[in-house]
Amino acid sequence: MERTKRSSAEGLYKVFIYVALITLAVSIIVPVAWVFMASIKENSEFYGNPWAKPAGFYIQNFADAWGKARMGEYMLNSVLVTALALLILLVVALPAAYVLSRFEFKGRKLLNVLFMGGLFINVNYIVVPIFLMLVDGDKFLQGMVGSGFLLNNIFVLALVYASTALPFTIYLLSGYFSTLAHDYEEAAYIDGAGYGKTMIEIIFPMAQPSIITVILFNFLSFWNEYIIAMTLLSDPKGGKTLPVGLMQLTQAQQSAAQYGQLYAGLVLVMLPTLILYICVQKKLTQGMTLGGLKG
Amino acid sequence: MKKRSGRSRFVFLCAAPAVLLFMVFMIIPTINVFRMSLFQRSAYSVNEKFVGMENFARLMSDKNFIRSMQNTILLIVVVTIVTFAFALVFAAILTREKIKGQNFFRIIFYIPNILSVVVISAIFSAIYDTNNGMLNSLLSLFSGKTVAILWKGENMVMTSLIIAMIWQAIGYYMVMYMASMASVPQSLYESAGLDGAGRITQFFQITLPLIWTNIRTTLTFFIISTINMAFLFVKAMTSGGPNGASEVVLSYMYKQAYTNSSYGYGMAIGALVFLFSFGLSALVNVVTRREPLEF
Amino acid sequence: MKKILSILLVSALTVSVLAGCSSGKKEEAPAEGESAGGSEEGGITVAAIETAYGSKMWEDVCAAFTEETGIDVELITDKNLEDVIGPSMQGGDYPDVIHLATGREKALTETFIKDQNIVEITDVLSMTVPGESEKVGDKIAGGFTETSLTNPYGDGKTYLAPMFYSPCGLFYNAGLMEEKGWEVPATWDEMWELGDKAKAEGISLFTYPTTGYFDAFFYALMYSVGGPEFFDKATNYEEGIWDSDEAKTCFDIVAKLASYTEPTTPSQANDQDFTKNQQLVLDNKALFMPNGTWIVGEMAEAPRADGFKWGMTALPAVKEGGDSYSYTWFEQAWIPGGAENQDDAKQFIAFLYSDKACELFAGAVNADGEPAPAIQPVLGIADTLEGDNQMFYSIYDNGAKAAMGNFAAYDSGVVGVSNREVWFDPVNSLVSGNMTEEEWINGIKEINDQMRENMVQ
Repeated sequence: MERTKRSSAEGLYKVFIYVALITLAVSIIVPVAWVFMASIKENSEFYGNPWAKPAGFYIQNFADAWGKARMGEYMLNSVLVTALALLILLVVALPAAYVLSRFEFKGRKLLNVLFMGGLFINVNYIVVPIFLMLVDGDKFLQGMVGSGFLLNNIFVLALVYASTALPFTIYLLSGYFSTLAHDYEEAAYIDGAGYGKTMIEIIFPMAQPSIITVILFNFLSFWNEYIIAMTLLSDPKGGKTLPVGLMQLTQAQQSAAQYGQLYAGLVLVMLPTLILYICVQKKLTQGMTLGGLKG
Repeated sequence: MKKRSGRSRFVFLCAAPAVLLFMVFMIIPTINVFRMSLFQRSAYSVNEKFVGMENFARLMSDKNFIRSMQNTILLIVVVTIVTFAFALVFAAILTREKIKGQNFFRIIFYIPNILSVVVISAIFSAIYDTNNGMLNSLLSLFSGKTVAILWKGENMVMTSLIIAMIWQAIGYYMVMYMASMASVPQSLYESAGLDGAGRITQFFQITLPLIWTNIRTTLTFFIISTINMAFLFVKAMTSGGPNGASEVVLSYMYKQAYTNSSYGYGMAIGALVFLFSFGLSALVNVVTRREPLEF
Repeated sequence: MKKILSILLVSALTVSVLAGCSSGKKEEAPAEGESAGGSEEGGITVAAIETAYGSKMWEDVCAAFTEETGIDVELITDKNLEDVIGPSMQGGDYPDVIHLATGREKALTETFIKDQNIVEITDVLSMTVPGESEKVGDKIAGGFTETSLTNPYGDGKTYLAPMFYSPCGLFYNAGLMEEKGWEVPATWDEMWELGDKAKAEGISLFTYPTTGYFDAFFYALMYSVGGPEFFDKATNYEEGIWDSDEAKTCFDIVAKLASYTEPTTPSQANDQDFTKNQQLVLDNKALFMPNGTWIVGEMAEAPRADGFKWGMTALPAVKEGGDSYSYTWFEQAWIPGGAENQDDAKQFIAFLYSDKACELFAGAVNADGEPAPAIQPVLGIADTLEGDNQMFYSIYDNGAKAAMGNFAAYDSGVVGVSNREVWFDPVNSLVSGNMTEEEWINGIKEINDQMRENMVQ
């Protein structure tokens, strides 16, 4: 008697859990899947029941998004910016994290505190001063060499991305480096290796899992970022990154409403991150415990 | 002697680029936020005029600013509590119970976190549409009559934002807590189970205390992140409307700087956001202080 | 956000800083005119801003002018025209004709107006259009040479020639009105009557894309309530102006209109969802919306009710027999004081209103090769147009008066507010009932003084 009561309560509990989990899962899968479905609908299909199946496979949306809405060009910009920013970030952050965590020197404490403090500075708090600094820089350059090149420059955008990701990246890498025993370096020095060689050939390869985490997290944040990109790439006819181009597409007035193109554009933005995520989801979610906080 | 100088040169070379970038793109802009908040600067006159605390005095009586502050605080409180409650409970269920498809749920729940806010906003635009939206059409289906809730209307817009933000954040924190909960030794639960402690007791007596350090860190950063995410969502989803009903501090700051060209005024808001987020983080840090439990 | 035109033409207030900061860097080589004569020997130099209409039409018009009069034209067009001609003007080398609207961030035209450095062209109005027998003044549509934008000193003398206009008004489904046997209201009282009739059939009287579209609406309303004098006082933030009877009438009309507005409108009146409000008109869920001529192309692919036909009307008159107004954007062309060949320059301006030039402007294509007709403000131009544009541009031929101008620009002394926030955004709250008319008016009054004290002189 007692036993059946207990197990029926248990069963109810299980049912409740599954209902809760499935509800949440559905609330995520359905809207995302809906975007994929919508991306092959024709424009006129967007004015009726949202749950209606697409009348056909209207691939033209993707062609239009890619060409007419310049998503192809924006995609290239996004790839360039993200890759450049990651490259700069790694080249700058790896050695810095290494010396900050493993070398005693004057001012090290201060630097560590500063970088830790940087974790609390959100980029979007300081996007306006960064923008004004570049405006002033451009004005100065215009006076000096005749034209400014700091704004509307994807290299500068990548540099800003990399710089603002430094605190998190250094924090994460330092955390890993400081767990390593000093024996590795001692041995390398005895073998006659210099500091640089030791760092690049001995230490960095060991930090590979952390480096992958850094790349994954920063890839996502650079790829998806839109406020800084929108502010620093301000030329209305100039280059944009994908999220900014997409935002412009959602807010375009005075030109024909292109829902099909819009959702095709959404798919173009989502797809790379989704594919990457499916490939590396194990690594990504494992990496989270290393950082413990959001980049 | 030679080795020493080589060592400091190595340290310098490694740390200098990171420090330089960090200074130029984070520290100086941060200082500039505070400095510019004391000036009046517009797009048309590059000359800055020192106005002392005038911008701050004006803010205190600016109804729109006060509303944006209230909205921000509302978002921080509600989104934080709901996200953390759900994330912890779901994480506990997924780690403690034998759930079929556990891995599947973990993968799905994490997806919103890898999507750009621009994409999420476009998705929620389709969800919240009054006449052809996914949500209203579902509600109509279940209730049997036409539901026409104005999700982006003045009375509902904050609720709609809260839902979208929770939807986005929940999976990330859940996966993170799953990782830390997995490291809690199974034996603790077993012995507690023998003592007759139920699931709920175990959750509060064992799980929560043992991952408390993790919760504390994430909570601190979640507050800063929420201030920022609220801006991203508002900018892409509602532009602060209708009539400022969904304005949050950072979107109000951005608007002052770029729509109204009141840079000084915008930076006064930025300075307050800095102080507010630091203060709140510190407060949370103090309030949540507990003796760390070891296991 | 908003209409491309308004960004190009209107009020320095709305010019985005971002756009402003990017300008000046993209220095494209000035496009060469068809006729490479140069200005040394009797020819003229024409400098025209390149906007959404593209620059091809200018090349064509200049060539046609040379063909007609034998006067050579050197043409300079650029998106950032100020940067191209600014330095040489400082060196004393002026173009003979400049086509550059007011309201741009660099405020070049405003500077010339302020310095009284523009050649009076009142006499051009009585000149004969080259190659035609009509006088310029007889060709230009009514009202266009009587605004503060063309006669900046209020002395009845014209200094700037009105160019390319784009009327705004209330758009509706003409097919539905016909089907129901409803008349387009001529007064606001008729409007409210129609609103009640429509309500009985489950149709709302009014909707709007976003509150940004209220600027043109409100300008026209101010004209129709108090005429140009009231408009000038109001847009210059005159003290106590919002306590006047005229202002009260304007506020009452908007507030009443809010109560007739389709209830989902405010929740969709944002940059993402505004097309859904426009769709309300196509779906016969709302009767009227304020908009511009671009709406046809914007909603070209949207489905619509059977028998849908675009209609556009000016704002109703306040009382029987009163004036009805339709707001219009337009640009200006003018002759700088330093121009060397002023007589030929005047010939050129006169030629801009010739049938030939109008046709070339109307055939403009933008940089992407798509048609972007630039319409000259001449009488009867509507007859030369096709389709919906014919009806839109004939609005002034059918008795409506043109409302022109905008809120005076203010400088950085105005902190933390913008015209749109104070005047128009609250309409959203009026519709949803979160704000009363009283609160709206008080908000405007509070800010009015600040605007006046910081006006750009």
